Amino acid sequence: MQTAWLLLLGGLLAGYFVLGGYDYGAQALRPLLPRGGGRQAAMAALGPFFFGNEVWLVAFAGVLFGAFPFLEGPLLAGLYPVLVPLLLALVAGKAAVQLRGRARTRSGERAWDALITAGGLVPALLWGTVTGVLLNGVAFTGDHSIAVGAALASPTALLCTLASGLLFTAHGAAYLALRTRGGTAGRAAVLLGRLAPAAAGAVVVAAASALVIGGAPGNPVVAAALGAAIAAALLGAQTASRRGRPGAAFACTGTAAAVFAALPWAAHYPYVLADAGGGGMEIGAAAADGATLTVLSAFGAAVVPLMLAYQAAGWWAFRGRVDDRTPSYL
Amino acid sequence: MDAVELSRLQFALTTSIHWLFVLLTLGLAPLVAVLHTRAALAGPKGKRELFERQTRFWGQLYVVNYALGIVSGLVMEFQFGMNWNGLSEFAGNVFGAPLALETMIAFFAESTFLGLWIFGWGRLHRGVHAALIWLVALTAYASAYWIMVANGFMQNPVGHEVRGGTAYLTDFGALLTNPNTLVALGHITAAAMVAGGLFLAGVSAYHFARRTAHTDFFRTPLRLGVVVAALFCYPLYAIGDTQFWGIAEQQPMKVALLEGGTAELQAAMEAQHGPGDYVPPEWIGVPLDLMVNLGWVLFFAPLICLVLLPRDWLVRPRVLAWATVALTPLPFVAAVCGWLFREVGRQPWLVYGELTVADAASPVPAAAVAASLVLFVGLLGALAVTDWVIIARLAHRGPEGVRLGAADPLPAEPDDGPVTADLGHAAGRA
Repeated sequence: MQTAWLLLLGGLLAGYFVLGGYDYGAQALRPLLPRGGGRQAAMAALGPFFFGNEVWLVAFAGVLFGAFPFLEGPLLAGLYPVLVPLLLALVAGKAAVQLRGRARTRSGERAWDALITAGGLVPALLWGTVTGVLLNGVAFTGDHSIAVGAALASPTALLCTLASGLLFTAHGAAYLALRTRGGTAGRAAVLLGRLAPAAAGAVVVAAASALVIGGAPGNPVVAAALGAAIAAALLGAQTASRRGRPGAAFACTGTAAAVFAALPWAAHYPYVLADAGGGGMEIGAAAADGATLTVLSAFGAAVVPLMLAYQAAGWWAFRGRVDDRTPSYL
Repeated sequence: MDAVELSRLQFALTTSIHWLFVLLTLGLAPLVAVLHTRAALAGPKGKRELFERQTRFWGQLYVVNYALGIVSGLVMEFQFGMNWNGLSEFAGNVFGAPLALETMIAFFAESTFLGLWIFGWGRLHRGVHAALIWLVALTAYASAYWIMVANGFMQNPVGHEVRGGTAYLTDFGALLTNPNTLVALGHITAAAMVAGGLFLAGVSAYHFARRTAHTDFFRTPLRLGVVVAALFCYPLYAIGDTQFWGIAEQQPMKVALLEGGTAELQAAMEAQHGPGDYVPPEWIGVPLDLMVNLGWVLFFAPLICLVLLPRDWLVRPRVLAWATVALTPLPFVAAVCGWLFREVGRQPWLVYGELTVADAASPVPAAAVAASLVLFVGLLGALAVTDWVIIARLAHRGPEGVRLGAADPLPAEPDDGPVTADLGHAAGRA
């Protein structure tokens, strides 16, 4: 049961990296799109899914608290210095995407635009920092507290931050290339062609750093394989895009984002929070009591298929490309 | 101030901001759903066009309000762990479950459906589209229920036993039917409906007071708002009053602070829990009094408005119309006061009688908490004010300012041209 909940937790995080990830990438790339129509189309592309993407993070945090409360406390308190700027950027970016259309002056729009871009770029980078800290391993200062200072300064965390920024912007470009028409899609495909190989290279270097100078993941083969899989998926995206197959390219960058989410957890399993000096917190110590998980499982079995079903119904209802004449309402 | 005080202030301020937006979300969602249902049922030759425009106007205000509700709620969800990791250490087996279920059952659905509703104009089947806003309203209340299950546990911990310094879930049913939770949820629901009703009435009355060209557009919302507020003003009072019976039993210290007898309880709690200050700050009587006094206004005003509804008596004299406008903010002030009394009155406990706030605080340096306090509250405060200005501006402009569901796509824009709500609407249905 603990493993099932860890898989659900990982699934929610992976879903968030895939769905929220392309939002952040598209937001971050906004200034690089053609003025006027191109940017308008990018906003229309975020469209109806914007609200349904963010909730994967909320569900991740909820399941983390409900099913793994003894991991939630130390992890979130320990990550304080990363989470504060991350949350500030999420708040600013999400508010800006929703409220920009209500601006009445050009300067008001410019202010919202800056927040939209920063609100995409900063999370795209900092989720990599979080991933890098987990991959590197933290320092346990007690049974229920950790310190992340050394992990934050580690080469792995810095390289993961860079890789993540490139990965999510490449993913955002793949999304825009798939979802928009005309000049916006063309520009996005060009950006994807440049960002995807750069991201692939950065991921390889970051994974190598974790294996060589980090806290030696318990499963080095898995870590190396997943790192290689991310890089391969990103290069596959570049190839697919060049051959005029934006759907396949988006599937590739999406896979890369999902595997990136899973990387630190798979590399250190059965530890859900690894100590850089070896060992860490095992899944059994992190999970809620059996009685709690039983209750949660009864609800989860009923609700998780529903969650997937109505999200998929939404994607289906709003499939198809958009352009700058598509009403955005945001 | 130490890290604990700073963390408390940060949580209190972010929650207050969140609560102000949540109250209107809960109050408006069912009313927008009612308006949308009426539009969906109307024939194409009847008043469907008018009803749809009304739905879109109030829906636009709802959506702008929702933006701040989401982002402030996101911050709070992380603050549990960031600032109060002792809570998960002690009560994670019990307190985390309702929060997990809130996100999975309620919020996940609410936000997904709202996204589809916002973009569903002209794309989705009329009935499906109206059903979506009902789902949004329903899941918003489901969300409120689960949050109050978690909060009710803090106020009146039930359904668990403590072994070796950790709480274990023993009776999930008791957690779900915690009287503290159910009564508070009833009070909140009534408060939200009064707030939503008076918001409809207030914004509508504003257009009557200024004698704008939109009074026909706002007549039905005025009536709907007044009727809803009048329907819920008695439950608001009655359920609120009922809460005191529970408090006397569950949190005797809170009542003693108002009625005397704190010294005996302090001595008893010291005997039970060791030395410490178990008396909440005395000033909680101030927000309580303010809430109760506003409660009387909120009890009688909707009834007076109801009596004056026929033939527009309520809005014909400008002074009465302006008085109706002036009612709009009162439920929000009362709601924050009520929340302060509820949560500050629980001090020094985080989980009443079992875990103190001081014991639950994360080992984060005070300087870090001070910085995050300034940044979070500064950003959320600035965004909140901006959001209210946008709501006020949209309310002032009336149906012509609505972008939500505007029928036609935007006209082609020259490069770098202004893309404003005003221009966007010119192509709409004004």
